[in-house]
Amino acid sequence: MVTIQNLHKKFKNLHVLKGITTSIEKGEVVVVIGPSGSGKSTFLRCLNFLEQPTGGEIYFDGVLIDPAKNILQVRQEMGMVFQRFNLFPHIKVIDNITLAPKTVRNLSADEARARALALLDKVGLADKANSYPDQLSGGQQQRVAIARALAMRPKMMLFDEPTSALDPEMIGEVLDVMKDLAKEGMTMAVVTHEMGFAREVGDRVLFLDEGLLLEENTPSELFSNPQHARTREFLSKVL
Amino acid sequence: MDFRWDLIWRSLPLLLQGAWLTIQLTSISVFFGILVGTIAGMLRLSKGPMRYLAGAYVDFIRGTPLLVQIFIIYYGFPALIQNPVPPYVAAIIALSLNCGAYVAEIVRSGIQSIEKGQTEAALSLGLTPNKAMRYIILPQAFRRIIPPLGNEFIALLKDSSLVSVIALEELVRRAQVIIGRTFRPFELWLAVALIFLVMTFTISRLVNYVERRLKVGD
Ligand SMILES: Nc1ncnc2c1ncn2[C@@H]1O[C@H](COP(=O)(O)OP(=O)(O)O)[C@@H](O)[C@H]1O
Ligand SMILES: [Mg+2]
Repeated sequence: MVTIQNLHKKFKNLHVLKGITTSIEKGEVVVVIGPSGSGKSTFLRCLNFLEQPTGGEIYFDGVLIDPAKNILQVRQEMGMVFQRFNLFPHIKVIDNITLAPKTVRNLSADEARARALALLDKVGLADKANSYPDQLSGGQQQRVAIARALAMRPKMMLFDEPTSALDPEMIGEVLDVMKDLAKEGMTMAVVTHEMGFAREVGDRVLFLDEGLLLEENTPSELFSNPQHARTREFLSKVL
Repeated sequence: MDFRWDLIWRSLPLLLQGAWLTIQLTSISVFFGILVGTIAGMLRLSKGPMRYLAGAYVDFIRGTPLLVQIFIIYYGFPALIQNPVPPYVAAIIALSLNCGAYVAEIVRSGIQSIEKGQTEAALSLGLTPNKAMRYIILPQAFRRIIPPLGNEFIALLKDSSLVSVIALEELVRRAQVIIGRTFRPFELWLAVALIFLVMTFTISRLVNYVERRLKVGD
């Protein structure tokens, strides 16, 4: 579904991604791990061009992503969930979810609303449609954020540390929603420190270190038999 | 030392007529100022060459006295175009342009105060940058802009007294005329100050009210 070839990203003199080549298949759940500052967020944000890569190519469904040509369409097909939720605080939960389908996909208000209510039900928040985001707990906000992304019916979802800003007791409810999504066959790229999640639903784990894709493997292989010293060192801290 | 209350009473109708003109000039100028300022403020944040023009406008207005701006519009331009500009029109143009520059800065910083994550979330859903601005950024910036806009309204109301120099019979000018007749500056200026105070107090109450009404969900 996504093919990444020799992806580079520099911020001025800071070389954050140093040539990453990999691919994400349809229906696959790819978990990205690595030390803080290794470039995980940047990698994810390059996929939907929130950061403009400074080198390399990314293909989505076989088509080269080109910010001048097709970035809007690509983003409609690639939902994103952020560490800090980034819900729109000035509108209600229901409007957070219907906004993009209405303004981007030109869905009628009724259709968008029906879709949003179904998604709220799916993430267990049917009763929160008319709340404002800041009336919800962190875990609830993140579930709304997932529903908001899903309302565009994306082919793929990007998650950037979706549980890192949550109190421990709320992590489970968000991971459960993500697990359901994975079971339904959603293609997912997930940056996370939740190794249990990686092991349970990950098809493949990428270990990023200082902007390099040091190794990638199935969770069980990577966790039990890491090839690089850096990987072993990192895993010893988080497992 | 006697204090002529009766003089204040008798001057009040004339002073209030002046105050009414002050309110008119200020309200109309704030309206155009918000229009001009919103455009200029957004241009300053845009990528094109227009941002330099908007920047020059803001710098010029903020770096020169309003009094000089009034003179340029009332005396300068008419000389240039060989056509007089009525004082009322000149006053509104000068006050609007002045207000616009300050509003531009308010709008710019209001927009910039919205966290980057908001734009990113909107873009990640496939919104164009324009739609992200319209549906996500501007509505949130607007709420934050209300209090400083209210301050600007009050500042302009007070500064509008400067148009008395082009013989517009607003509040200050009226007082000057009455003092010329009665030689009672203390009573008259005190009355003028109190009238200004009532006007500015009313505006700040109104702004507070609007602010509270908009607070929902922020
Ligand atoms: N917008 C930016 N401008 C400059 N440097 C950045 C920017 N975003 C990230 N970086 C830097 O890039 C490196 C990788 O960051 P990031 O991708 O967020 O790492 P991770 O998500 O793995 O913690 C860090 O050193 C970070 O400071
Ligand atoms: Mg990160």
